[in-house]
Amino acid sequence: MAGSGRHERSRLRAARAGSVSDFEALFRAYWPRAHRAAYLVVHDSAAAEDIAQEAFLAAIRALDRFDRSRPFGPWLHRIVVNRAIDWARARALRAEAELDERPAPDARPELDDPTLAALARLSPEHRAVIVLRHLLEYTPGEIAELLDLPRGTVNSRLRRGLDELARSVER
Amino acid sequence: MRLDDVRIPDEDAAEDRAWHVARAAYESRAPAPHARRVPVRALVLAGAILAVAAAAASPPGRAVLSSVRKAIGEEHAARALTRLPTGGRLIVESSSGPWLVSEDGSKRLLGDFVDAAWSPHGLYVVATQADAVAAVDPGGRVRWSLARPSVRFARWGGSRTDTRIAYLARRRLRVVAGDGTGDRPACGSPTAAAVAPTWRPGPVHLLAYADAHGRISVVDTDTCSVSWRSSPIAGLRSLEWSDDGRRLLAVSRSGLTLFGVAAAHPLSVRPLARVAAAAFDPRSHRIGIVRGREVLLLDGDHLGRRPRRVFAGAGGFSDLAWSPDGRWLLVAWAGADQWLFLRPDGGGRVRAVGSIAEQFGGGRFPKLGGWCCPAQ
Repeated sequence: MAGSGRHERSRLRAARAGSVSDFEALFRAYWPRAHRAAYLVVHDSAAAEDIAQEAFLAAIRALDRFDRSRPFGPWLHRIVVNRAIDWARARALRAEAELDERPAPDARPELDDPTLAALARLSPEHRAVIVLRHLLEYTPGEIAELLDLPRGTVNSRLRRGLDELARSVER
Repeated sequence: MRLDDVRIPDEDAAEDRAWHVARAAYESRAPAPHARRVPVRALVLAGAILAVAAAAASPPGRAVLSSVRKAIGEEHAARALTRLPTGGRLIVESSSGPWLVSEDGSKRLLGDFVDAAWSPHGLYVVATQADAVAAVDPGGRVRWSLARPSVRFARWGGSRTDTRIAYLARRRLRVVAGDGTGDRPACGSPTAAAVAPTWRPGPVHLLAYADAHGRISVVDTDTCSVSWRSSPIAGLRSLEWSDDGRRLLAVSRSGLTLFGVAAAHPLSVRPLARVAAAAFDPRSHRIGIVRGREVLLLDGDHLGRRPRRVFAGAGGFSDLAWSPDGRWLLVAWAGADQWLFLRPDGGGRVRAVGSIAEQFGGGRFPKLGGWCCPAQ
C-alpha cells in the first residue's frame, strides 16, 4: 500500500500546513490505485477519472479535520469505491437504451482485455470487493469495515465473484 | 488475477489533469502566508498593468492582439461575407428567422422560426416557433412539426441512428424522438429555467438541464435515472458539454462552473463577471469567452490559471462560435456591426466582415446559433 506509516502521517501534517510538495507526494502515491480501482468498477475511463478526482477533492476539503491517527488510504478508497458502485448501478439502468443501436466504433472499446471483460460481467458490488481485495490488497475484514458490510457477505461475494471470473476466463 | 496490468485509456493524461485540478483546489484552501497589507487600489492598478503586459507579451497574443482597439470595429472589414474561412455551416438567428450559411458564403433563410439548433451530425435542424417545434432539413423542407404551447430551446442529441430532442413547452421539459414520435414530458416534467438543455455527446440519452431553482440535473431521459443534481447556481445562462462528453460548462452571471460526468460537486469554479458567452473548443477543454470588451481563452482543465486575451475592442462583444475544426473563433461584435474570425492559436490576421445586421435581413444584430459539420 502506498505511503503508509510514519512517512504518510508526516506528509499529511505538512500538507495540512500548506506544503504543496507533500500534498503532491500524497497525490502521486495514491492516485494510480484510486483511479484504477474506480475504473475496474465502472469500466468507463471518463467516469473513473472524475470519481477518483472527486475523491481527492473531498480529501482536500476534509484535510483540516482529518483524524491523523487513521490511515489516509482506506479513507480515500472508501470514497472511491462507494462512488464507483453508485455510478455503476446508475449506469446499469441505462444499458437497455444501448441495445437499440448499431455498435458504434467507440461503443465499448475499453473491454478488449479479457480480465476486464470478465470483471464487467459481474455486478458492481462483486466487482468492488474483488478490486478491494486483489488490487488494493485489503483483507476481508478491512473490506467489511470499508463497505459497512458483514464479513460473511464480503467472503461470499469474493467467492462467487472469483468463481464467476474463473468461468468467464475459461470460456 | 493481475488487476494492476489492466490498461486504462489515457491514463497518464488523466493523472496530469487530475493533479492540476487537485493542486488548484489545494492551493485555494492552503493557509496564506502572513503579508503586509497593501492598498487595494495599488493592487488593482498593478494587476491591470500586468494583465495588459501579459496579453501583449505572449506570442499568440502578439499575433492576434496587435493593439487594444480604441475605435469601434476593424478598419478593413469586408463588406460582405463571401465565404467561411474553414469548412462547416453556420446557423445565424436574425429578426426574420434562422439562416444557414454555407462554406461558400451562400445563405438560406430557413423560414418563420425563432430559434434553431443542429442535429448531432448536422443532417437536420430543429427549429421552434411560438407554438411548435419542427425538424427541418438544410434545404428548408419541414420534415415534421409538433404543435405545443410556448415552445423554446429545442436541442437535438444522440447517435446517428437513435436521437432525441429536448425542449421546453410552457417552461416544462419535454422530449421527443428525432423522427417526431414519442413526444412526452421528460422524467416528471420538471419546471425548467430559461436555459437551453444540452445532450451529452454519445449514444446514451443523457441530458443536462437547469430547473427553476437553478440546480443542474444530469438525467438519462430513457430510464429517468438521475446521474447527479447540483446545488443552485444563481443567474445561470447556458450549459454546454465538451465534445468528448467529459466536462459540462455552466455559465452564470458570476462566472464559469465546470462539472465532470459523475459528480454533482463542481470540478472547478472561475469567478468572472460580465461573461456574454462561453464555449468549448471542439477539440479540447479550452474555453473561448466573450466578456465586455475582450475575447479570452481559458484552459478548462486549469480554470484557476490566468485567461489569455486574444482580442479587445470598444463597443462590446455579444457572442462566439468555434469552427468545427477548432482553428477559428467567430466573434460577434454587436457594437461594431461586425463579425471577426480570429485564429486563437495565432498565425494570420483577423478577418473582419461588416454590415452583419443588413446581410441577415436588417433589424437587430443576429445571434450565432452554432457552427457545425461540413455538408453531408
